[in-house]
Amino acid sequence: MKRLAAIAALASVATATACGSGTGTSTGTSAGTSDPSGGVYTTIDGSKQINASAPVNPFNPVGSVFAGYNGMTLAWPKNDPIDPNQFYPALASDWTATPDQSEVVIHLQPKARWSDGKPVTSEDVRVSIGLAYTQGGTAYALDPKAAGAAATIQVVDPRTIRITQGANKSGTFLSNLLSTVVVPAHVFGSLLPADFWHTLKVAQDGTGAAADRAKAVITGLAEKVIAFSPPRDVSAGPFVLERVNPGAALLKRNPYFYNSGLIGPDKVKVLNYTGNEQIWNYLIAGKLDNAPFTSVPTAVMDRIRETRGSQVIKGYSPVSTSMAFNQSRKPYDNVHVRRALAYLIDRNQVTRIASPEGGTAAATTSGIHAKAAKAWLGDGFGALDPYRFDPAKAAAELRAAGMTRKGDRWAMPDGTPWKVEIHVPASFSDWVSAAKSITSQLSDHGIDATVVTAADYTLYLGELAAGKYDVGFWLIGLGPSPYNIFQRLFGQANGWQMFGGHLKHVAPGAEGNWMGGPETVDGVNPGELTSRLQFASPDEQKRIVASLARVANEQLPVVQLWDYVNTQFVNTSRYTAFPPDDSDALRLSSGVWMQLGMIKKRQA
Amino acid sequence: MTRSRGGAVARRVAGHLIRGLVMVWVVATISFVIIREIPGNPVQGQYESLIQKGMSPEQAERATAVLYGFLPTGSLWDQYTGYLGSLLHFDLGRSLSTPGVEVTTLIGHAARWTVLPVLAGTLLSFLLGVTMGVYAAIKRSGKLGDLLALSGSLLHGVPVYVIGLLLTAIFTTLWPILPSGGPVDVEFVPGLNPGYVGSLLQHAVLPVVTYTLASYGGWILAMKSNVVAVLGDDFILAAELRGLKRGIVFRYLARNAILPLFTILALSIGMLFGGSIFIEEIFNYPGLGLLLVNSISSRDYALMGGTFLVITVGIIVANIAADLLYTAIDPRVRSGGSA
Repeated sequence: MKRLAAIAALASVATATACGSGTGTSTGTSAGTSDPSGGVYTTIDGSKQINASAPVNPFNPVGSVFAGYNGMTLAWPKNDPIDPNQFYPALASDWTATPDQSEVVIHLQPKARWSDGKPVTSEDVRVSIGLAYTQGGTAYALDPKAAGAAATIQVVDPRTIRITQGANKSGTFLSNLLSTVVVPAHVFGSLLPADFWHTLKVAQDGTGAAADRAKAVITGLAEKVIAFSPPRDVSAGPFVLERVNPGAALLKRNPYFYNSGLIGPDKVKVLNYTGNEQIWNYLIAGKLDNAPFTSVPTAVMDRIRETRGSQVIKGYSPVSTSMAFNQSRKPYDNVHVRRALAYLIDRNQVTRIASPEGGTAAATTSGIHAKAAKAWLGDGFGALDPYRFDPAKAAAELRAAGMTRKGDRWAMPDGTPWKVEIHVPASFSDWVSAAKSITSQLSDHGIDATVVTAADYTLYLGELAAGKYDVGFWLIGLGPSPYNIFQRLFGQANGWQMFGGHLKHVAPGAEGNWMGGPETVDGVNPGELTSRLQFASPDEQKRIVASLARVANEQLPVVQLWDYVNTQFVNTSRYTAFPPDDSDALRLSSGVWMQLGMIKKRQA
Repeated sequence: MTRSRGGAVARRVAGHLIRGLVMVWVVATISFVIIREIPGNPVQGQYESLIQKGMSPEQAERATAVLYGFLPTGSLWDQYTGYLGSLLHFDLGRSLSTPGVEVTTLIGHAARWTVLPVLAGTLLSFLLGVTMGVYAAIKRSGKLGDLLALSGSLLHGVPVYVIGLLLTAIFTTLWPILPSGGPVDVEFVPGLNPGYVGSLLQHAVLPVVTYTLASYGGWILAMKSNVVAVLGDDFILAAELRGLKRGIVFRYLARNAILPLFTILALSIGMLFGGSIFIEEIFNYPGLGLLLVNSISSRDYALMGGTFLVITVGIIVANIAADLLYTAIDPRVRSGGSA
């Protein structure tokens, strides 16, 4: 027995030693204790899996940098339904832009400092932009003709930087600039060669082999930048990484944060999760102060609500779910068939079953989330066909399409049986439930329908893009940028692609064109209009959005099923002052909420 | 005589090693081909996932481009020869899903989190199952024997994820005395301090118990069956007739009945490098099983291949070890089965 105890003790020691080399960046606090004044705020970052092997580097997609905590941008985007250029200040205290966004001047927070005490300067922003060029991106494209690419970056003074836009203007230039992640030049600066800015100029303004070589040099830096592992975290955010293990990251307060007085908690613990049920368990046990929304069965939701302090905050989320058609397949090439299906689907019932907490039934199909659609279209929104549940209209549409009735079942025009196969990825439980509800409804009205699941989302998207599905679920309405919204309906998935700065329509079934819609509809080229949204003035954007919404509503490349609701779980037992419902900050992390003066320790 | 026996052992070991190497090559080749035949577009998948998690299209596009900027290029044959060449240098490549990090580093980190729950669970279930198996066989006509056999059958039939979810529901929500996920509380400074070691053990309780319960049924049923078979052997009857003490008879019984289980135990220990996917997923335990699942969903070819290979090599080595161990502990095998 003694021997067994000794072996057990040795095993514990060996395990503790073996498992004790998580990335630590400081000496840390004494075990399990923290300053009781602000407490430890516990949350989950739904957009990232914690990876203890990854470096503390924001250019590494799994790096231990958490937006709003130890990761900072120049500004944080507001949840505005139509304007992508609405931001809260972050490291930039304020900014000005010319009306056409050809020039942007950014002023940095005067008191901003890194966690090692050094000031945040324009040089940090310049180096961060240089590093962003190695990764590519909308504002930092090496091709000067790319829409919305920056042309010059000029340090005006230690706290001011001026950036101009290239000739091919984009209305989201400001938005892309303000989203720039800022890293300390004294830590990351050595990644850029001494002649980097000269090389960049050659890459952008040069021609021929010299320009190609310069481009290759800059993109060749990408891997080095991603792999860079600073010895410790140097953050300009309200927190700095203390340590990370595969199950969680621990961040402690950055005493040099420019608005330190606004920050309530002393520490933040970001938990990793591998499945939704872990989040449910944490919420039921009251361990999380905030968690992103996950699909929750009703019984579990009831238990979460019963937990002391548990609350749900809801707000706008610019995403909708739709059922999309492959219009190169029969009978979905016929608009009457698509309309018939729209009339036969009771979207309220589908939403109630699939996403009762996280969605509202789509008012109609416009390609846009209802809230944004009302803002864009005004009275025009009411003029769209709502496609209310109407079996009689559906039957008329089917007959108009030449479909025939054989007994109590609908058949193809040539008399062969019509089998609707709705494809969804198995891992999206709300989509699976919705597809089952739809098949049941269709079956009740004489249409044979089945749900086919793909093993995972990657496989699903691959097969969808390859044109293997007749009907599949598809995310749409990705606002606030109108270009992004309609790109989902009239972009690459429907055949429109940019080749050398020119828009081209490829044939259905080729190069990712799985929607297979026609290039023009009644003289309107929806892909061309969508492309114009990138450069159009606000007034022109409104006109284009109205046209595209009408085309989407009449042609139904998709049937919009429900609009997502941003639903967040919070627990007010330890902290209060969470953002209210419909807050502009709802889609941002708790770290940003803290920067905005929210989240205070509950007083005993 | 000694020299010839030593030569035979050396030949046996060499034969095992050669067969093992061939198997590693075959498995490496098969896994290389299978991995590249997995359908799906990881780039698009990553983009869509990030959007659904609330990222703006621009952010998602940037993050996706960063992640998949270095997809494998070249012909399949070039990739294969490059892969084999790297393997010879123990270079499993760099991970796509954790850019900039060597696959060997990721596997090394995951392996240590697998070893604790799976090894502890395997050994605990073995000890428990073998002991209870002997009692179940001896008391097979009594209520205790029936009860033990029933417990084995029940637990053997219940899927591991059901046991895991059940334990989680009981001990983390209904009666919340244990942590529901993660390997250790990040608030503790890693090292040999009571808080850290305590947290480590506390977090390991549910995974270890789940693994133990899931494996226990197999051991008890196998051991019971072996003991019942040995009980009918002449040498047990002879021992009883000679009036040997119960303890000695029990030792004869257990030593002979346990022999076949050693092979399974060795293979189970080899299998532990595969982790236990369900247990690691349920308890957010970052071992090799979870690493493999994540590498498949992110189509991280290098990581997938590396993890497959480590699991395979673990099983092959365990197989060889079991064979050699069996030779050492069973005189009948040593003498060519003539005993």
